[in-house]
Amino acid sequence: MWRLIAIVTLSALLLACSASDDAGNNKADIKDQKVFRYAMSGSPTSLDPVQSGNVYANVIVSNVFDTLYNYKYLARPPELKPGLAEAMPEVSDDGLVYTIPLKQGVLFADDPAFPDGKGREVTAEDFVYSIKRHFDPAARPQGAWLWQDRIKGLDEWKAAGSDYSVDVEGVRALDRYTVRIELTRPYPQLLYTLAMGFSAVVPVEAVEAYGREFGIRPVGSGAFRLESFNTAKAVLVPNSNYRDEPFSLSAEGYDPATQAYTRVAELEGLSPPFLDRLEIDFIQEGSALWSSFTKGNEVQMASLPDEQVKFVLDSTRPVILKPEFAAKYQLATGPEAGFVYSNFNLDFPEMGYNPDPERNARNKALRCAVIRSFDWPARNDSFYMGLGQVFPGVIPPGVPEFDEEMPRDSVTRDVVYAKQLLADNGWTADNLPTLVYGTVAGVKSRLFFEQFRAFLKDIGYPSEKVVLKRYATFGDIVRAWSRSELPFVSKGWGLDYPDAENTLQLFYGPNASPGSNDANYANPKYDALFEQAATMAPSDERTAIYRRMNQMLVDDCVAVTGLTRMRITLWHNNVIAVPDSSIVGGGFLRYVDVD
Amino acid sequence: MAAVPETIVFVAAPPRQGLWSKAFHKFCRDRAGLVGLWVVLLYAIVALGVWLGFWAGDWADVTGPKWGPVSAQHWFGTNLIGQDIFARALYSTRTAFELGLVVAVLSTFVGAVFGAFAGFFSGGWIDELVLWFMGVIDSIPFYLLVAAIAFSLGDSPYAMYIAMIATFWVGTSRLVRGEVIKLKEFEFVEAAHAIGLSELAIIFRHILPNTFHILLVQATITFVAAIKSEVILSFLGIGIQDGMSWGLMIAESTIEVLAGFFNNFIAASLLMFGLVMAFNMFSDALQDALDPRSVR
Repeated sequence: MWRLIAIVTLSALLLACSASDDAGNNKADIKDQKVFRYAMSGSPTSLDPVQSGNVYANVIVSNVFDTLYNYKYLARPPELKPGLAEAMPEVSDDGLVYTIPLKQGVLFADDPAFPDGKGREVTAEDFVYSIKRHFDPAARPQGAWLWQDRIKGLDEWKAAGSDYSVDVEGVRALDRYTVRIELTRPYPQLLYTLAMGFSAVVPVEAVEAYGREFGIRPVGSGAFRLESFNTAKAVLVPNSNYRDEPFSLSAEGYDPATQAYTRVAELEGLSPPFLDRLEIDFIQEGSALWSSFTKGNEVQMASLPDEQVKFVLDSTRPVILKPEFAAKYQLATGPEAGFVYSNFNLDFPEMGYNPDPERNARNKALRCAVIRSFDWPARNDSFYMGLGQVFPGVIPPGVPEFDEEMPRDSVTRDVVYAKQLLADNGWTADNLPTLVYGTVAGVKSRLFFEQFRAFLKDIGYPSEKVVLKRYATFGDIVRAWSRSELPFVSKGWGLDYPDAENTLQLFYGPNASPGSNDANYANPKYDALFEQAATMAPSDERTAIYRRMNQMLVDDCVAVTGLTRMRITLWHNNVIAVPDSSIVGGGFLRYVDVD
Repeated sequence: MAAVPETIVFVAAPPRQGLWSKAFHKFCRDRAGLVGLWVVLLYAIVALGVWLGFWAGDWADVTGPKWGPVSAQHWFGTNLIGQDIFARALYSTRTAFELGLVVAVLSTFVGAVFGAFAGFFSGGWIDELVLWFMGVIDSIPFYLLVAAIAFSLGDSPYAMYIAMIATFWVGTSRLVRGEVIKLKEFEFVEAAHAIGLSELAIIFRHILPNTFHILLVQATITFVAAIKSEVILSFLGIGIQDGMSWGLMIAESTIEVLAGFFNNFIAASLLMFGLVMAFNMFSDALQDALDPRSVR
């Protein structure tokens, strides 16, 4: 018996020694590596490109997979460049046919899904397959809206049962390295969609081998390969098969006047990725992320939380770090590519469309009064350090069609006018409808609600008629929006591409719930203008149409809008990086280097 | 008539003191308990004043700047959106009392009924069933169970109340069960049986009234537990939904302390500490006073 115990104890000791030795070696290995630790405030649920509907998934997808086009790393405002494509496309005169040559010799990362575990070459057929997956319900896709009714034959292919052996007229491989896309009508935003994670190229072998697990075992031809992934962290390592593409400052849109301090010029001529290991932590709490960032040996890049502003910054206009922080960190500032706003759900007859024309008019007056009660400067000061940019309508400053001259009445608080509007239209404290405000459980979201309720109280809206409805997760509230269950929708929108069409589609009639038009705005004139502009290339004429549509939304009092937040990003001095402007976020990670 | 010797003196027997009057006298001699009681009464008056609309009616209004300092107008300053922290802390007293009272009364009632039945029928299937049920509830970590119930009831404003009542009755029930097992062997219960009273009448008319001293102490303990649990649950985001509470104020302070602003945290913590401490002192004194073995 004693001998048995001795053997077991000895074995356990030996095992422990060897395990700790392994761990020690691993640590030593990592210590010698170039590791960059990045963090995001949420975790993706799936890394399958067809399900990469949120920014968190997109950050990883854009590094593990290739898209035909990418945004230039350093160009501001954002500009496209060829990614997997060899060059920008040849477009037919009528704007309906795009011919895109692909790079040759690009390989997927090595993976057991391939014969002998060696990644094979990426071909035009892979792109065709990847787009088709968005029209295959079995893949549970989220990105079909980008190409629905726009690429010839895709909708019919889906209706016929999504048989991959059947060709689609509108998306074809002309040869091994040439893709041809044929549209039903001009679609000037098409190239932007080909830079989104949704259009990333996947190998059929891996999709078939892993099935639903492909979402956690992604295989692509991007700069990195996913080593591990769980709800707390994703670890990426360089894809050893990644093509040799020397970094070029001029091709990436380098501006020495504003970007020299970042030392990106040192990377000229080197081939990305420059890291040995990219660790992405999912840290929901801003304060926890900040603590990790300031610790020194953990997260190396973070957004500055509002509550730290007075400790970290010397001034906010312009944004300047205090000397003790400037000695340790680099800084970049810029407006987000998107905005925050709230819209009424016009499906609710209490405040939206009502069959009774008189009530309909009164409802519009009520909505307008709510909009004029909103104190944007106070919101900006309380939650966005006063650095956000308040603008009328839904065309934010991040897109070229933004109109600085647009009248600002809709974002200027006027309590007297709002009260008068209510009184003139027969609204009293007794007959005002109950306004249900949905939000995800959380301290800040609750304060958003309380501030909104206080604004409304100032125009005589009884507080007991402004009711909070909590949702446990963001997914729950998104479901409620898409099912048209909430009369008032408060949210943020991140631009998918730098074109106002991306925000104006949020109010396009055919996109009504469960689509992105959760305001359920239905205005035939607006829809007609949207359809007219949808086929137009960027031009003054199109911009004028966009602005007319924007004014319609303001006149119809559809939304309390809007504010574009200022991003203040800091990173450790030993990191060479320029954070991206958040359109298709994450693309910059392949160019990050660490001293 | 027989003569009565002068030396014999008739002394009046001391009046017989019941449990309650003895307890009252004992309690009155307990200074800490009395201080606790007065403080609790003060809080109760504050809560009643909020309920009647005498003060803190503007707890939800934006009346100052972001993170305004302590001033004559704002005794504890203002929060992130400019609401008066003192008004919010006062309003939270009402929330604490509402929750504490409802949970204490209902969970004590449920615990008493289940405990009485289990004790009266001890050894039988009713006892087995109640014990099994209590064991099941006890075996689940408290906050996990409350969170599960609160989530499963969705956005019902009473979710937290129900969750707490569903868990707090168990402790009371165990105590009552033990007391009833003891009481049911007493002569008065045998007498009740002998005159043919129904079992229900015996339980509710004769046994349960004799457990009131336990129920009273348990109710005060539950009251404090409910207030503390609310603070934790609200802090975690599964507590009070519409309204204000000390827990929500402490949760709010998590985004403020990093900015060096502690007013929400201090206001909520102080008021909660005062009430919980006072209630504990009151509860201890009450327990001592009602304990027949206590000689103080």
